[in-house]
Amino acid sequence: MGYQFDFSMVVKILPVLWRGVLVTLELWVICLAVGLVLGFFVSLARISPFAPVRLAGRSFVELFRNIPALIQLIWFFYAFPILIGAQLTPFVAAALGISLNTAAFSAEIYRSGIQSIERGQWEGAMAIGMSRADTFRRVILPQVFRRMLPAFTNRAVEVAKVTSLASVLSVHELMYQGRVLSSTYYRPLEILTTVGVVYLVMIYPMTWTSSALERRMRRKA
Amino acid sequence: MQQYEWDFGAVLAYWPMLLHGLWGTVAISALAILFGIVGGGLVAAMRMSRHVALRTIGTAYIEFYRNTPGIVHFFWVYYALPVITNVKLGPLEAAVVALATQSSAFYAEVLRGGIQSIVRGQWEGATALGMSRADALRRIIVPQAARRMVAPFVERSFEIVKTSSLASTLAYGELLYQGMQIASITYRPLETYSLLALIYFALLYVLSSLAKILEDRLQEA
Repeated sequence: MGYQFDFSMVVKILPVLWRGVLVTLELWVICLAVGLVLGFFVSLARISPFAPVRLAGRSFVELFRNIPALIQLIWFFYAFPILIGAQLTPFVAAALGISLNTAAFSAEIYRSGIQSIERGQWEGAMAIGMSRADTFRRVILPQVFRRMLPAFTNRAVEVAKVTSLASVLSVHELMYQGRVLSSTYYRPLEILTTVGVVYLVMIYPMTWTSSALERRMRRKA
Repeated sequence: MQQYEWDFGAVLAYWPMLLHGLWGTVAISALAILFGIVGGGLVAAMRMSRHVALRTIGTAYIEFYRNTPGIVHFFWVYYALPVITNVKLGPLEAAVVALATQSSAFYAEVLRGGIQSIVRGQWEGATALGMSRADALRRIIVPQAARRMVAPFVERSFEIVKTSSLASTLAYGELLYQGMQIASITYRPLETYSLLALIYFALLYVLSSLAKILEDRLQEA
């Protein structure tokens, strides 16, 4: 088969892809930060002693986990503005959708982390006179963060991949640039392959960190 | 702000389109799960092979798919693959190929995780009884591993159902694509996309409840 892979095309599109990479990184960092913070509060709601709060937390998590992320993004861009009476930019809509989605998934990581700490830890802390809140903050949480670190890095990998869906809303991130370039130059093979490789280079260090952390923990255990 | 007049009736009038879309979603998902399991078996066998070359290919395959977004795979199969193979796939075929190759990587990890979770002693015991490696795998290891693999397998399959919504970007008439059509016919994106979210939620929630029952049965057995 005589297809000539045109490497000069790859070089030519790199500056444009780089602009996309910056937007992808921006989206990634924002959504991960907001999602992790928000997810923590959702997990507290999930384990609250008050049934209505627990139900609200659970509904939030189930809703965002059982609906495809792409639908969530489209909903926040096309449907949500009607509800609030104000148009959102594609970037804001995407950031909102991905952040809430990340919050739902990380809430479950926090929750399983908190529940994995043995009862004895709570009892011990209480026995030396700590309040429930103090025990949670000073005894339970530090252990949760350590145990859950691999799960959080995994989530970071997922979030990076989800940001590519923002291309559907025309956010000018990496995938969007790839799509536009590929229809401009009629070189989908070179361009889409390059986009894939750029994602790989961007995300692989995170995956590697995650499995390294997992290995280290298994050795300690 | 003017009070928004909800009208689900206008959207529901197009229920045959939604039904058609639901069928499309089920078709892509079922085919991708089926081919994904077969492919996943092959990839897992390579990943755990005693030959370095096969092992490297298996690992590279898995890492590639774990570290690149699904939407890149969809576009690559639809737009770039025909350039090398001279075979133009339709949107359905492209979506199934993209989703099945991707899920092969994830199913392979499920299989490997399950098999490697069985302690070495089981292999050694089987070998001591004079069983071959293949026999030990088939009669001792797999039956035990299968039970542990159910939960991650189900989780992976849900991801496939959710990811099938990406086929809309190739203009295949699954649920999301049909919804987009309805939204532009009726000018009712709020109702349409909310309804769409609800349909996905119901579909996945029912499936996950069924999976829970199945899992519990298996744990008891």
